[in-house]
Order: sequence, then C-alpha cells, then structure tokens
Amino acid sequence: MTMLDDETLQMYVEEAKEHLESIESDLLAIEQMGEDIDEELVNKVFRAAHSIKGGAGFLGLNTIKELAHKIENVLDMMRNRELVPNPEIVNILLLAFDRLAELIDNVEESNDMDISEHVAALSAIASGGVPESKSEEAADKSDEAAVEMQDDNKIVVKNSQGQVVFEKELDLDQVTKGGKFLYLLELDLVKDVQEKNKQPYDVIKDIRSTGDVLDFKIDLEAIGSLEEDKFTKTIPLYFLYATIIEPDIINTLFDLPDEQVKVISGQDTPAASGTEQEVKEQIEAEKQEEQMQKIESEPKKEQVEEEKIVDISSSSQKQASKQVAPKPAAKKDTSDAKPKAAVKTSKHSTGVHAETLRVHVSLLENLMNLAGELVLSRNQLMQAIAQQNMHDIQAASQRIDLVTSELQEAIMLTRMQPIGNIFNKFPRVVRDLARDLGKEIELILEGKEVELDKTIIEGLSDPLTHLVRNSADHGIEPPEERIAKGKDPVGKIILKAYHASGQVNIEIKDDGRGMDAEAIARKAIEKGLVTEEQVRSMNEKEKLNLIFLPGLSTKEQVSDVSGRGVGMDVVKSNLDKLGGQIDIETELGKGTTIRIKLPLTLAIIPSLLISVGGERFAIPQVNVNELIEVPAAQVKERIEKVGDADVLILRGELIPLLSLAEVLGIERESKFESAEGEDTFSDKYRTDKGAVKVVIAQAGSFKYGLVVDELHDSVEIVVKPLGRHLKQCEGYAGATIMGDGRVALILDVVGLAKLAELSAVNVAEKEKTVEIEEGEEVHTLFLFNNAPGEACAVPLDLVARVELIKAEDIEEIGGKKVIKYRGGSLPVFALEEVANVEHLELQGDLVVIVFVMGGHEVGLLATPPVDAVETKVKIDVFSLKQPGIAGSTIINDKTTLIVDVYEFFETLNPDWFIERKEVAEEIKKEAGEKKVLLVEDSDFFRNQVKKFIEGEGYKVVAAEDGLVAWNYLNEHPDEISVVVTDIEMPNMDGFELTKLIKESPQFAHLPVIALTSLAGEEDIEKGKAVGIDDYQIKLDKEKLLQSIFNFLSKMQKQAA
Amino acid sequence: MEETVQKRKGPFQASCFYLGEALCGIDINLVQEINKQIVYTAVPHAPDYVLGIMNLRGRIVTIVDFGKKLGLGCTKITDSTRIIIVNSKEEQIGLMVDRITDVVNGRWEDIAPPPANIKGIQGRFFLGVCKVKNRLVALLNVEEALADELVKA
Repeated sequence: MTMLDDETLQMYVEEAKEHLESIESDLLAIEQMGEDIDEELVNKVFRAAHSIKGGAGFLGLNTIKELAHKIENVLDMMRNRELVPNPEIVNILLLAFDRLAELIDNVEESNDMDISEHVAALSAIASGGVPESKSEEAADKSDEAAVEMQDDNKIVVKNSQGQVVFEKELDLDQVTKGGKFLYLLELDLVKDVQEKNKQPYDVIKDIRSTGDVLDFKIDLEAIGSLEEDKFTKTIPLYFLYATIIEPDIINTLFDLPDEQVKVISGQDTPAASGTEQEVKEQIEAEKQEEQMQKIESEPKKEQVEEEKIVDISSSSQKQASKQVAPKPAAKKDTSDAKPKAAVKTSKHSTGVHAETLRVHVSLLENLMNLAGELVLSRNQLMQAIAQQNMHDIQAASQRIDLVTSELQEAIMLTRMQPIGNIFNKFPRVVRDLARDLGKEIELILEGKEVELDKTIIEGLSDPLTHLVRNSADHGIEPPEERIAKGKDPVGKIILKAYHASGQVNIEIKDDGRGMDAEAIARKAIEKGLVTEEQVRSMNEKEKLNLIFLPGLSTKEQVSDVSGRGVGMDVVKSNLDKLGGQIDIETELGKGTTIRIKLPLTLAIIPSLLISVGGERFAIPQVNVNELIEVPAAQVKERIEKVGDADVLILRGELIPLLSLAEVLGIERESKFESAEGEDTFSDKYRTDKGAVKVVIAQAGSFKYGLVVDELHDSVEIVVKPLGRHLKQCEGYAGATIMGDGRVALILDVVGLAKLAELSAVNVAEKEKTVEIEEGEEVHTLFLFNNAPGEACAVPLDLVARVELIKAEDIEEIGGKKVIKYRGGSLPVFALEEVANVEHLELQGDLVVIVFVMGGHEVGLLATPPVDAVETKVKIDVFSLKQPGIAGSTIINDKTTLIVDVYEFFETLNPDWFIERKEVAEEIKKEAGEKKVLLVEDSDFFRNQVKKFIEGEGYKVVAAEDGLVAWNYLNEHPDEISVVVTDIEMPNMDGFELTKLIKESPQFAHLPVIALTSLAGEEDIEKGKAVGIDDYQIKLDKEKLLQSIFNFLSKMQKQAA
Repeated sequence: MEETVQKRKGPFQASCFYLGEALCGIDINLVQEINKQIVYTAVPHAPDYVLGIMNLRGRIVTIVDFGKKLGLGCTKITDSTRIIIVNSKEEQIGLMVDRITDVVNGRWEDIAPPPANIKGIQGRFFLGVCKVKNRLVALLNVEEALADELVKA
C-alpha cells in the first residue's frame, strides 16, 4: 500500500466522517419520498459519496473508493430518475454506507477489507433496477471495461462487444498512482470526430492535454467490408488513457456518450490479494452480464447457464444474476465470516490514533484572542508589581480575573457538543427496528442543538440507544394491536432534549402500551429479587423502579432486539456514572416517558467548601442537601444517641451523624469545653462556640449528617484525579486547587459513609419502611426494656434525651429516686410505680429516658439495650390497656407495651398539673362549649393529643388529614373555634390547610396552631407566610393547652 | 528498563541525595525537577508513606516520603529537604528526600550488584552500587520502589 501521509489521512477521515454523519437521515428522507424525489437531497448524498470517493482515490484507498463509487452510481441513477428509491434499495445503500463508515474507521486496513457483497448488491441495483431499454447504457456507465490481469503485469482490455482491444504489458499500479484512472476511450472517427467538425489531431491534442495516452489503436475490423451486410459506418478509435479526471466528469470532457468511455479498474498491486480478487470478481460479473444478455435472447438455456455461473463465481455474483435487488442483510451471516474477523483486528490497531475533536474556528479565534489578553494583562501586572503601584496591580488583577473566567468558559465550550450527534443515529435505529419487528414507528427528534460535555455525550450513547430500543420493542405495539386499541397504527417515539434549571433533560416518550408496575413487581418476586412483603409496601413508582434491578426483563419472550434481562440496570449505572438521574412515568395503555437529567459538564462542579481541623475539603454541591447549624442551646435536644449511633433530629427525621474529623482521623483544632464541666456524647460534635455545624449529605437514596468545623463558600472547582498511591483511599472523589494555590480534597459522600461503616443497605432498608403507602401509619418508637425481657416503647418524639447510668448513681431522697444530672437532680421513676409490670431491679447499668413534662424534666428508668425503630404497626389500645400503658403492639415479634407517658407522670405527680387544671376551668367558663378541630395523620398521636385536650374539657373533632378537616369545616362552619394541625400529612398538609382557612373569609378568623415534632426555622417562616398563628411542639402538652386557651380567650374578648 | 541494568552499557548520570545516612541516586533521566517548596495537603487514610498531595502548576502530585517508603526512617523536614519530581507511569510523583547532593557520572558497566541488604533498603528497590569519588552511591529502582505497595493495598 502506498505510504500515507498521516496528517492528510487524518483530515480525510474526519472529513469523510462528517460527510457520513448526515447521510443516514438523508437517505431515510429519500426513502420516505419514494418516487417524488427531492433532487437537492439526492444531490447532497451524491456529493458526500463523491467527496469520499475523490479523497480515497487520492490517498490510494481503493476499497473505499470502489465502494463509494458504486454507491455514487446508484445515487446518480436515482438523481436521473432512472431508479425509484424503494425500501430495498435504500436498505442496500444504508448497509453500503455502514460498511463505508467501517472502512473509514479502519482506514489503514481498508484496502484489505471485503466489500464484494455490497458491490454486488449495488451493481445489481444499477443493472437490474432500471428499464430494459436503458439497461445496457446504465451497465456500461456503471461498470468498468473488461480488463484481465495476467500474472506478468499483462493486461487485456476488451471493448463493449467483448472483443480484445489491447493486450499490453503494463503495471497498472504504476499507471494509476496518485489517484489516476485508466480509461478506455472509444471514439468513432465518423460520428465523434468528423460529424462534430473536429480534426483527429485536435482530438488527440485535447486528450493529451488532460492525461497520458498509453496506447492507441484503430479498429479496422470493425469497419467491415463493403461485401458484408453489417457495414457499420463507424471507424472506432481506441485510446488507453490515464488521467486524474474522475469517471463521472470525464464524459463531459470529451463530449462522448457514456458507453464509449470506460474505466479500467484494478489499480491495486497484485499483492493486495483481497482487491485483486475483487477485480477478478468484477471481471466475472462483467462477463456474466454479457452472458446474461445472451441468456435473455435464449431463454431456454437460462437454467443451465445460471448454474454455470454459480459454479464459477462466488455467491455475490449469484445475487447479481438475479434481476431483483438482493438483501445483503440476510446473507451477511453466510458469506461474511472472514471480513468480520478483519474488522476485529483492525479495530484493535486504530487505538493508536489520538482522539480528536472538531471545534469551530471562531471559537479557536476567540481563545487565541483571550490568550493574547491574558499575556497583556500579565505584563501589566508584572510592571505594576515592579513599580509597586497598588492601583495598577488591582486593575491588572481584575482584568486577569475577567479574562480567566472568559477563557475558562471558552475552553469549556470547546468540549460542548450538540446532542444531535447521538440523536442522529436513532432514525436509523428505529427504522431498522420497525422493519424487523413489523411495526410502524415515527421518531420525532427535538432539541438536537442542545449541547453537552463531550464525555457526557459519549457516555450517553449506549443508555439512550437502549432506552429507544426498549421503547420501540416493548413500548410500541404492533399495528394491528394499535388499531384494535383505537390508536393511530403508526406509533410515535419522541426524543427530546432541553435545558432546565442548569441541567439538561432528555425525554424518551412513546405512546405505546406503557409499563405495568404490577407485572414488573411480579416478575421481580418471581426472580427472587424482592420479597412479596417488600412489594406490598411499595408504591407504584417504587415498583416501576424495580426495573432497574439487575436481572429483570419483563418482556415475556426474549427477542434479539431487547429483553435479554440486562440493560435497564446497566442504563442506570451508566447514568449514575455521569451524575445523571432517571425517572419513569408511565400510564398503562397510553405510553411511557423516561426522563433523564444530566449535568452540563463533569469537569467543573459547583462545590461547598468546609473545613475540619484547619484542612479544607470540598463537597460536590449535588451531594449537599442542606446545611444546618444547631445552636449551642439546642444541641442537647437535637442530637441524640440511639443505640450506639448518634443522630440528629431534623424535622422529625432521624439523620445519622458522622464527625468528619473522626472519620478522617483529624485532630480538631479547638475543642468544645463544656461549661458545666460535664461531658456528654454530643460534645465531640461541637465547635469551640458550642454549636454544631452539619452538612446534610445526600448519597443516592440515603442521607446523613456530616459534622464539620466550619462552613465556607460555595465555589466552582476543577476536579483533578488523585495519583495511584491514593487510589485505594475511600472517601475522596479527587482533589482540586484552591484560589491560594493549595490543594483541597474533594469528599466522596458515599465513600465516607462506607468508611464510617454507615451501611447504605441498612439505611436503604430503613428508607423502605419509611416510604409506606398512603393511609398506613408509621410510628417512630423508642424501644427499651422495663425488666429484662419486658419490651416497652414510647414515641421517640416524646423522648428528650437518654442517659446511661449506673444503679449506684440513684439516690433515694425523701422517698423519691433522683440522679445527679447536669448539675441538678433529676427525679427518676420506674414503670412499676404506676403500671402493673414486672419489678425493675436497680442494679448494674441502667438507662434513664428523659422526658419534659409540664416544664419539668423527669426520667423513666429502664434496662438496656435501647433502640429506635421506624415501624408500621397497629397499636392495640384494648388488650393490655392499664394506667400508664396506652396499649401494645408487636415489634420484632415481641409484644411491646406502649407507655402512656402523660398518664404515667400525671399519676405520679398530679401536683405538676394542678395549675393547668385551673386554667382549664377558666377556659371552660370563658370559652364555653367550643370545639377544637384536631388534624393529625398518626392515629397514635391523634388519640394522645385528643385525649389530653379533651381532658381539659374541650370537645375535640379529629381528622386524619387536611382534606378531611377542610371538608368538615365546610360542613360545620360554626362549630369549630380553633384548629390544631400537624404539618406533615398525606393528601393535604398543614400548610395547605392553613392557607385554605386563612384565604377563606368564612374561616379566616380561626386561630391555627401547628403541631410539629420539631419546628425548624424554615418551617416557622413558611408557616407564618401562610398564616399559622402559633407553633407548638407535639410533646409539650401544657404549652399547647395554654396556647389554645390564649387564642380562645382572645376571641372571647373580641366577641365581647 | 532498569531491571536490565547489568546489560546496560555506557555512561550514565545519577542525581544523588541523602535519605537519612544513606547516599542514594536515581537515573537523572527520570527526574523532572527538584522542588524546594514544601507545601502539601495531608490525605487522611492514605498509606503511611504518602505525606500528602501538592499543587505543581495545576497538577496534583502525590508526595511520598521516600525514606519511609524504602524503610530508612521518616524524613524530617528541614531547610535542606527537597522534593524530587519524577515521572512514573504517566504520573508525576514527588519524592521527599533529606538533602540533595550532586549529579555523578558513572558507567553502567561499573555498577556492582547490590549486597543483599544495605541499611534496611530492600534488595528489589535496588539497581546496584556504584563507587564515585570514594563514595558509595546506592542506585535506586524508582519504578519498583513506587509500584510495590500498590499490590499490597
């Protein structure tokens, strides 16, 4: 093979790829138009094929040239309306273009790759697809002159009648070097010279001015003699002629009919065996065509002849011998074993080529410009520094700042590629699929111009292909089924990309049969991926998401298109890698929409800077859920120990806490010194000021709180990889360079959780139990044992703290048990003092559960271990009801007593509640019989709160959620005087309910008291905005009652 | 390439430095630069011989306490401490050494095979010993020294 100039070759390859890019869609458009062809479009494809051919000829890529040439011929016929593009023809063209793309991808080996199948198919179209009258001309035009190459570089050239014109010793390779073509010109001295008023000399001069005449001959025999009838009146002149002019324009040069100009192919060296074979095959084909013509005149012999042909030629010629266009796709398997292997090896070797990226010149110019600016600014800065001129230094640094950001933006732009690059392949994918599956599918592409980072585009290709194939295969129904369902028989798939909130969204939407969540769930159970139990607690969305589990395929029959049971999980993991999210929306029978959200770029990510022990770290903003600073005064209430895990209570949710310093083993610079001189477990989280700063980190489906020393700014950082010695360190996603030039590590929140042995599995499980179906009830219970083995529980929301003590710490003073606690004494009680339960031995390690009751702190003695569970249970309020015990339930297969904390402490210390009793009397007098509307979704809390409000002498109407409450209000407009509502509720939450109440003129006057487990600043703000009058914490009975009283008396006064 | 030192011929240059008491040298072709500035960010949970990472003109470079890596004891940071930046497997790695001396010229042929153990340096980190100006320089196999711990980890 000719030695190729690497750079030229590279340029050619890129250009060719660019040409090929649009061909597919153009061809599909051509197919759609059928007879009514758009010449411009055909021309466009023609030009593309032509350019590829031209370049290939120049570079000596003969196989490519050959194939491109054949394609060009077919297109030319199409352009001249000699051929009507039908799906068969377009299919062959598409396959040929595919092969061409393959050749170009493996350009170095292209000359050794086999294209015979495509050549044969294309030739067949060219010869067979046209009307009889034109067939000869077309064949002549598209096929080369018969040339036989013999061992000793001898070539034999025949004219169109098959007569030998030249027999010559010639090194074809030598002649055709540098992209030259060898032609056989057949001029008629009478017709082409004399009748056109030319002189033979001029003709020869013309010819010689454009190329080399290798040989020249007058065919005197063809003239015939006067005696014979077939006096032809022609004097043929034959030129063997080599020129760089391409076959498709050579005719115009000489003004000759097509059949008189023939290309002699076979510019290959005999060494290139593959091509040599092809040349032979072409010759065979040529002969065959000649034979064909004979056969047509002698139909009887046809059978015999054809058999002969089969014998002497390869299977591709068999195709050519048929007048119908063949289906190369079908026969690929049989004849293509060898070329496949060739592709494999060649792919291997193309890895050497460096990756390149096409960038618009204007962008490069902009970059140049900016680089120039940067240099100028640097000079200014250096000058200013030398002169110690502060003002100039400032000006220059400002300029550098601007230029740098612009430069960065511009460079990032070079990485941005339109998503059309991958979208464009889908029309073909869908078309082929539709053909294979016997479906009619229309694909609509939207937002092709949306740009994404190159790496994302590359990573997106496979998952998108999979999803589109899924839509076509599983989603869209066969036409009959669609008609039966009353749908348009043509299915629709919409592929859409658009920007939204700094992310790129991609939607794959089909109007097919939709996904059956139940079927997916059943399948998942069948395959043992989930248990029935798990499924039962899942909502529709969760069931759908089961499709992302590895090893699940819902299609009953496995097709070769999709449904291999791998895929969706791969899709998801691929998207995860890109930082993308995937979401399925589906309606059975109507269709499915799959939505993918992707970041614009991966190289620069917005991050939060934090520091611990003087070291700075960055956390990618996507992993940061929120930032919490627990004020020093609230630390004790909000940070709790559950089992041996520390948790932060955030809006009623328990969030596991991790100290970053502890996980990473960093010594904190300033430790918190407890003012009271007593250490509690939460102190290790505090900063020197006593507050706790927490980053709520979100890693996939689970959350945890990362305790840090300092929260800094949010900055955009450039991610840099860590060296190989640090690869095994979990917890880092890379490193970045800060403004001051120092390096900061980027934390990987998932890795950190692993390091801290915060098991994602456990959390995920927990998550599952939390996300229960609507209408069911979740309790967060704090479990403890009274006597060993006697399981008890209290609602976790009521627990203020838990302290571990030794039995010796309990002192008995005045008949009451107390422990020293935070500089004071804490009265402690055992459950047996009120309820009829087993005796609690006061020895060894004990647990004191601290509650706040009526403004007092009191402790309940219990035996470890303690635990907190979030569980969906039904509380039986009858069987085991007794003073101090609200009821019982089964937790972890054990009957567990639910302690009624209010009743318990009220029985013990009635005097604490006297004051309130008086208040209640007062309310009763002043407010009269007024009803309180209590809205609370948890049965347990509803009953508890209802009980104690009723205990005050009010009437209570209870509602499970905002909607029920609102309906009740409307039905009984005058009944209610005050509304007490929970915030988090299904159907309609407290905020919404309040909004409705406050917006309606009829109820606007009603005071609304919100009950929450813990009121966050944000919630309070939000509540105020919608008109919540007061916030009360669920467990603070007295304050709530006080609040109700206040509002009622105020209303009373107003009324009076 | 370094493994075949016995077969290598001709002159070479070695950049020499002290690790504790031991005078060591590495092939000068491996050295990209020698850095005086020692500012690095510690990486918790990193292997003990990794001091941290530093910013070398926009690249993140891992700093290895070379003395510790070779079992010659921790390098104490003093005024003479330097970081030798070497290229290893398409990555830049900084080797912290106690003191830089000079560049010595030698011939591969003159290198004596290393004794089984020199002051705790494990044999496989070793190319050989070369005597220059009455001093013995231990020539180190940088790739081997840096590749080792990966497998273990």
